[in-house]
Amino acid sequence: MIRLAWRNLWRNRRRTLITAFSIGFGVLLAVTFTGTGDYAYTNMIDAGASMGYGHVTIEPVGYNRTPTLDKRIGDSAALRADALSQPDVRDAIVRILGQGMFATASNSIGGSFLGVDPASETPAWSLLLRSLVRGNMLRDRDGSGVIIGSKMADHLNLDLGKKLVYTTTDASGEIVSEAARVRGIFHTGINEVDNAFVMLPIDRLRHVLGYRKGEATMVAIMLRDQRRTRRVRDALQHRIGTSVAVLDWRQTQPDLAGIINIDRSSNYISQLLIGLLIAAGILNTLLMSVLERTREFGIMMAVGMSPGQLFRLIMTESFWLACIGLLMGTVITAPWYWYLATYGIDFSGSIGHDYSAGGVLIDPVFHIRLFAESIVAILAGLFTLAILAGLYPAWRAGRIPPVESLKAL
Amino acid sequence: MSTTEETPHAHIVRMQAVSKLYMQGKITVTALDRVTLEVDEGDFAALCGPSGSGKSTLLNLVGGLDEPSEGRIWLENRDLAEYSRSQVARVRRDRIGFVFQAYNLVPVMTAYENAEFVLRLQSVPDAERHERVMAVLQEVGLDGLEHRRPDEMSGGQQQRVAIARAIVTRPAIVLADEPTANVDSVTADAILDLMQKLNREEGITFLFSTHDQRLMARTHRLIYMRDGRIERDDIRR
Repeated sequence: MIRLAWRNLWRNRRRTLITAFSIGFGVLLAVTFTGTGDYAYTNMIDAGASMGYGHVTIEPVGYNRTPTLDKRIGDSAALRADALSQPDVRDAIVRILGQGMFATASNSIGGSFLGVDPASETPAWSLLLRSLVRGNMLRDRDGSGVIIGSKMADHLNLDLGKKLVYTTTDASGEIVSEAARVRGIFHTGINEVDNAFVMLPIDRLRHVLGYRKGEATMVAIMLRDQRRTRRVRDALQHRIGTSVAVLDWRQTQPDLAGIINIDRSSNYISQLLIGLLIAAGILNTLLMSVLERTREFGIMMAVGMSPGQLFRLIMTESFWLACIGLLMGTVITAPWYWYLATYGIDFSGSIGHDYSAGGVLIDPVFHIRLFAESIVAILAGLFTLAILAGLYPAWRAGRIPPVESLKAL
Repeated sequence: MSTTEETPHAHIVRMQAVSKLYMQGKITVTALDRVTLEVDEGDFAALCGPSGSGKSTLLNLVGGLDEPSEGRIWLENRDLAEYSRSQVARVRRDRIGFVFQAYNLVPVMTAYENAEFVLRLQSVPDAERHERVMAVLQEVGLDGLEHRRPDEMSGGQQQRVAIARAIVTRPAIVLADEPTANVDSVTADAILDLMQKLNREEGITFLFSTHDQRLMARTHRLIYMRDGRIERDDIRR
């Protein structure tokens, strides 16, 4: 049966190859679509995480809904240690995030500040540090230095060494101010970040806000793989209890989550439509092949092949066609994938200067990357489609009475 | 032979008041009209009559390739109407051999594979299958040609492959629809010699439909048909 099905497939070599190529092309399209998603979403999620919250955030209960500075976590060092005990966690960073007003003698602007420990912040986990274009990183936790965005510098007419005054509300709700000197300027390419984000030394900020030692608004947790977010969040919540909130990036950055969800949905719809087109091609091939061989099937049934065996024969042909198509798809997709994964296509010229979506930096170079589960899903999905497309022709072949089949030309 | 109810176990085939009606557009065509017939073990019988007299329809009904509109057909004392489609297929596989006018071999298979096909359907073990196929190909005079495909063989050779396929399972009956119609007279004689030998030496029952006088001359029984009915049944044993 297996050998006969294989031979039947090659009776019309050109048709088989064209259909296999259409399955192969489906693999290429599915890899491109899914690979774009896998790469871009990971990139956006990781970039979003490095902007402050991390992939998972430990924060005071209720802070996410109303982020006021009176809400704070007590022993941030112990919480950080809890986070670091999780195997999927790469790093955990204590931060204070708040809103404030930033002013110079010439102008003022509202924005966000991020209190950081210079010793634990690295460019790997901080987009702002990665994007430092002038000056240096803050020197110590209690210094008077500040790092600001390039747009804010322009707006407030600031430069390295110049003075900036920030005003905010402290832990008890009182308005407090502090002066600082610009030590570095970053340029992320995201207007809302470059225009409104300021990095401050954490101990100085604690002092200004009236926080005790170890108090902070969050522990930002960086994961080795963003796909483990939910698992880590749940494990940490279970370990720490409910005295603090453990949230993932979907909860702390709902705009980003929304954009990814919408994009992913449209990606799925595109892939579904492509899949249906491919299935129609396979259906057409198998149906033509069945109709052409109606008489032959009549002969086979006349000599004793049962409708079930005939069904299996055509389904086996469908199986072979799927295998050839997937093999062909692998061959034509591999160099395409390698090129896009390694070099990519640079769209920065046509995107403009703001490479952001949902307040998160996106890569202007079109790259793809496939997770193992995506590869399995693509191969299994297309294989299933090919098999499903064989069902009707296989069923139909077995339904025609032998005497009618034998009359066919 | 051919009286109803007397010795039911000796009958390979029994048809009782079998009719077959077709719709041709809006007109109902009666292909078989209340035919009653018995075929006994070891018969070498031919259905003859003009085109459209119902010969092929009768063979198709006996072989379970078609279903009667009315009446009942027993094959080895089992009513075919009792079987499901899959069971009828199994009966064809195990108990009936078919030989068609147009040979009807599977084009992608060699002579060997065509003859082997039914044994594969029966799941006969490899070694036994090989032995039986080689024996039957030798029996029909095709040894040495087993690797040829149908398009590499003459009409007579293809018909021999069809006969090999029909008898390789040692069926209870071989139904042959105009088996000599597409071959020259020398080949036709050789094929008929072969069938007669199988009937004589192995007791395989043959039921033909034919216009061929040479074939009619060799049979033991001639069933004349006209307009879907049996007009005459001559037994010449």
